Amino acid sequence: MSDHNKHVLLIEDNPGDADLVRLRLVEGDSAVNVSCVNRLSDGLASLAESLPSVVLLDLNLPDSRGAETFRKVLERAPNVPVVILSGQDDEALAIKAVHQGVQDYLVKGDITSKHLERAMRYAVERQALLHSLEISRKQQLEFKNQFLSHVSHELRTPLTCIHQFVTLIADGLAGPVSPDQRDHLSTILKSVNQLHAMIRDLLEATRAEAGKIRVERRCISLGDLTRLAVAMMQAMAEEKRIGLEIGLDSRIPFVYADPDRILEVLLNLIDNAIKFTPPEGSVIVKASLVEADPAFAYISVADTGRGIGPEAVPLIFERLYQDPDAVDNNRSGLGLGLYIAKEIVNLHGGRIWVASQPGHGANFSFTLPLYCLSNLLAPVIVHQGKLRADFVLVRVDLTPLAKPPRGNWRETCQRSLEILQRCVYVDKDLVLPAMGTSGPAETFFVVASTDMDRVNIMMARIREQLEAYPELRASGTLRVTAEPVQFPSREGQAVEKLVEGVADQVTEMAMLTLGCKQSFTGKDTNNAN
Amino acid sequence: MQKAKILIVDDDPDLRRALKLRLRANHYDTVHAADGYSAMAMAQKEHPNLIILDLGLPAGDGFVVLERLQNSDALSSIPVIVLTARDPQGNEQRTLAAGATAFFQKPADNSELLEVIRASLEHQQFQAAPS
Repeated sequence: MSDHNKHVLLIEDNPGDADLVRLRLVEGDSAVNVSCVNRLSDGLASLAESLPSVVLLDLNLPDSRGAETFRKVLERAPNVPVVILSGQDDEALAIKAVHQGVQDYLVKGDITSKHLERAMRYAVERQALLHSLEISRKQQLEFKNQFLSHVSHELRTPLTCIHQFVTLIADGLAGPVSPDQRDHLSTILKSVNQLHAMIRDLLEATRAEAGKIRVERRCISLGDLTRLAVAMMQAMAEEKRIGLEIGLDSRIPFVYADPDRILEVLLNLIDNAIKFTPPEGSVIVKASLVEADPAFAYISVADTGRGIGPEAVPLIFERLYQDPDAVDNNRSGLGLGLYIAKEIVNLHGGRIWVASQPGHGANFSFTLPLYCLSNLLAPVIVHQGKLRADFVLVRVDLTPLAKPPRGNWRETCQRSLEILQRCVYVDKDLVLPAMGTSGPAETFFVVASTDMDRVNIMMARIREQLEAYPELRASGTLRVTAEPVQFPSREGQAVEKLVEGVADQVTEMAMLTLGCKQSFTGKDTNNAN
Repeated sequence: MQKAKILIVDDDPDLRRALKLRLRANHYDTVHAADGYSAMAMAQKEHPNLIILDLGLPAGDGFVVLERLQNSDALSSIPVIVLTARDPQGNEQRTLAAGATAFFQKPADNSELLEVIRASLEHQQFQAAPS
């Protein structure tokens, strides 16, 4: 080896083998710098400190054996070339390692200085090539994303112009319009909206690929969100004479999710279902709990369309996938909707899949994590193994002065929540995460381990701190109220059950306040009073 | 009764014209600017009741205009509605933080836009009433 300062990390526990390899190394190049360790942990520690030119690695070490050994090394130093020193008996494993990212292997006992030098030289060069390929792949991806983002933006301006003038004519602002003309104009508008949706999907898919989709999770009523989605799609279903129905479990769960993003997923699935179902068919949207998977809510959109062939099932969530014999094949979109839906669901920690038998409709399902208040509550409301005595739900309402709110109202609310968190005792009070769908007015809740008499001190502190926040004072009004949390009985109940009882009660009270139609325990709040 | 005056700032002449026709049909007066520099000049000269502002502008983009408006005692109370082809992600929060009243992505729904214009002007009159 002619390069100066070549540094080889030799990870080998057999002193005889280590000496032999070291000897062969020095024979090949007297200037080579070899550091030798005999345990994997020491090797990993050395890699964390400085990166050698090459790692020579024995697979069977005192603290790691077999495939595990090279996986850990590759994980710690993915850009350093690794050459395996294998025995006669584990050559098969060495070959497997080469498939998984190791650069080469040498069989001990067969090693000459020439062998070793060549293996190391090629390992270094291949690794460098791989590295530069990876960099250029990343650059291309970045360029493609920038290009798509730029193109989408540029397409919007002429599209806006068409939209503006078509609506001007359709609204009669440029003179009287005949019924025929109005009909043609609405066809143009429909196409404009389709183009607009495609541009939006293109941008969204680009963002998904670059890992730039943002989700802002809140505790939301899945029932309300499902009803909203169905209501928004009803007109489209009616136009195609398709029955669009909703089926909600009596116990509709609250989920921890971004309401805007999940609405996007629901609308997308319902839109697809309607598109691929012939007239007189039906689409059913369901939300339910599944006993076998208690941490998640299940949402499904089932149609009576012609279904999806088995060959398409594994491909349908891929980017740009399009059904080759779509009914509406002249207007099938870009094939990005399901890909975006999958990315959004995955970002929430859920799964999405489809079940279908050709000719018998398709059933798209996805899961979302349930909002689990008891996990958050347990550490604060249980003290020394026992439930604390009293709880009060403090409610903080922030209402913008103007409608629409002036300035950055959402950020003001976010800052207010942070201030609120500093007004409570973290070991016995809990500020709940944001709840309900985001509207202009924001409501925050605190579960306080205290009684109604003593809660006034906390409320005064909250008022004082929030009133001192200038942005809130300038743009909104503040209201702080409190209500005791009552729960049936604590006699003979395990503490876990009691915590769940308090969590249910708190969620119920909070959601009632926020005007959710369906309550946690399945009671319909419209009939409650 | 005096009509409310709206300053339309957009570098695309067709979009300015479309917006002008739409707003005039809804009984607003309009004045226009095609770049950041003339937007400030127009705002100072005309004292509009509301500004509809594009972000991508020559001679000082929308953010520069927002900042200058906020820093001017005479103009900082004028509500500004941002109407842009740019993406809401990133831009919406940034414009609102810079003092805009509302953010719309083009093409905006006409009735929603008109509703926000109406509400913003109402708020302004409400604030002006005590003086």
